[in-house]
Amino acid sequence: MQRRRLLVLLVLLAAGLAVALPDAALAHGVVGREDLPIPKWLFGWAATAVLVASFVGLAVLWPTPRLEQPAERRLTSVPTLLDPLCGAIGVGLFVLVVYAGFAGTTAGASNLTPTFVFVIFWVGLAILCPLFGDVFAAFNPWRAIARAFAGIAALVSRQRLPAPLPYPERLGRWPAAIGILAFAWVELVYSGRGDPSNLAVLALAYAAVQFVGMSLYGIEQWNRYGDGFAVYYGLFARISPLRWERGAVYARRPLSGLTTLDPVPGTVALLCILIGTTSFDGFSNGPAWGSLSPRLTDAIAGLGVGQGTALELAFTIGLVGAVLAVASLYRLGVTGMQRESGAAMTATELARRFAHTLVPIALAYVVAHYFSLLAYEGQRIFYLASDPLGEGADIFGSADTIVDYTWISATAIWYVQVAALVLGHVAGLVLAHDRALAMFSDGRTATRSQYWMLAVMIAFTSLGLWLLSAANS
Amino acid sequence: MTLLPIAHAGHWLVDLLYVLPLVIAVGVLATQSWRDKRQEKAEGRVDKSADAPPAA
Repeated sequence: MQRRRLLVLLVLLAAGLAVALPDAALAHGVVGREDLPIPKWLFGWAATAVLVASFVGLAVLWPTPRLEQPAERRLTSVPTLLDPLCGAIGVGLFVLVVYAGFAGTTAGASNLTPTFVFVIFWVGLAILCPLFGDVFAAFNPWRAIARAFAGIAALVSRQRLPAPLPYPERLGRWPAAIGILAFAWVELVYSGRGDPSNLAVLALAYAAVQFVGMSLYGIEQWNRYGDGFAVYYGLFARISPLRWERGAVYARRPLSGLTTLDPVPGTVALLCILIGTTSFDGFSNGPAWGSLSPRLTDAIAGLGVGQGTALELAFTIGLVGAVLAVASLYRLGVTGMQRESGAAMTATELARRFAHTLVPIALAYVVAHYFSLLAYEGQRIFYLASDPLGEGADIFGSADTIVDYTWISATAIWYVQVAALVLGHVAGLVLAHDRALAMFSDGRTATRSQYWMLAVMIAFTSLGLWLLSAANS
Repeated sequence: MTLLPIAHAGHWLVDLLYVLPLVIAVGVLATQSWRDKRQEKAEGRVDKSADAPPAA
């Protein structure tokens, strides 16, 4: 009875606040672009309700692990020629992007390189992989070049190439984590990111590092752990119901591919970097960072650093701070889980065992924060395909295409963002519940161990929605 | 003394509303956890008393 009263009180409180506080930005009178029936913060409440309902539903209706031992079935055969063909396309695109960066116009919007790197490659591929499997592995230009080179070298020398060094266990996914952090720094902090030639230089430098890594530790081993982009897309591809292997496609339960993720060192760090850097992207567009950033920049400039460098340092501090905040939140949830379950393993080990639950959350953050970028700026690829250098060419007859900002409304984008966040966190809960059932002695302990993970999921959802609303206000 | 413009209170209140579900959820989960532990202790006592030999 008391609970019902509390519930009624909360509903009345929410309704009252919804009327009293129509939406954010009361001081500036900025009208939101979205036309929403309820204030944005109420979506946070609704998302929390969905997560709590999912948690209860899982506790009642999901008594045994179902994803831990994924079963696959062969769907169809794939011509073996497809692999080298996709690799050749990947190499061609890489060469084009680098060439456009050096030879094309320096105006970012008229040059293929920035749009291809930051929109099509970083966001578009990340959305394709959970749907169709590891698309990037097929088109990975560095892997394709390395494989071609290894094949030719073996043919010319007429003997097997020397075996690669064993990959150091302690290195884990740390090289990939550092690679992704470096990319995020370029995207969000580096003041020269708008210059296509800088991006071309960085793309070549990244490729050089991958070639060194592959030559030392072997092509497949390095792609599995060391190449930041291969690992990034590979993680999202584990969500997919499809798995591609040379010559065949296999079908499996969605999400089940994540349960076989080997929790090597650096995996948790990589996922926290993905969530943290995306969070910082949203946060840096909001009013809180808008008021903090100038003060931080001035303080750094006061140490004798130039204004431009001070700004980059301030943003670097913000970026690293966001990653550490996300890592701390996850660690808090894992420590709570350890206490509730009485698990014998350390919090670090437990954090690794549940690292795969962060993958759908990282994807949710990418979709929620960059969907509008893909929806609008992604259209540039149509005219850039015809005129990659921005010099007036019209190769495919689409150079006159313009960006249509009306094909999807701001309201529709908001709903996609909210849906992505909620679905991603529900998927995280499902994975965590399934892993807990497999790890802990009984269903009751498993459910109780997930109290803190539920709190972490609610925190990430609320944070995501707050960042989106702050960035749009 | 600088006064906070009253209109800015709208921002902070709205920001707080995003945190409120988390605060409520943590409170409810902490209470539930405490209840679970208490119940387990009580069940442990019942089990022990059931295992104990009958008084002579």
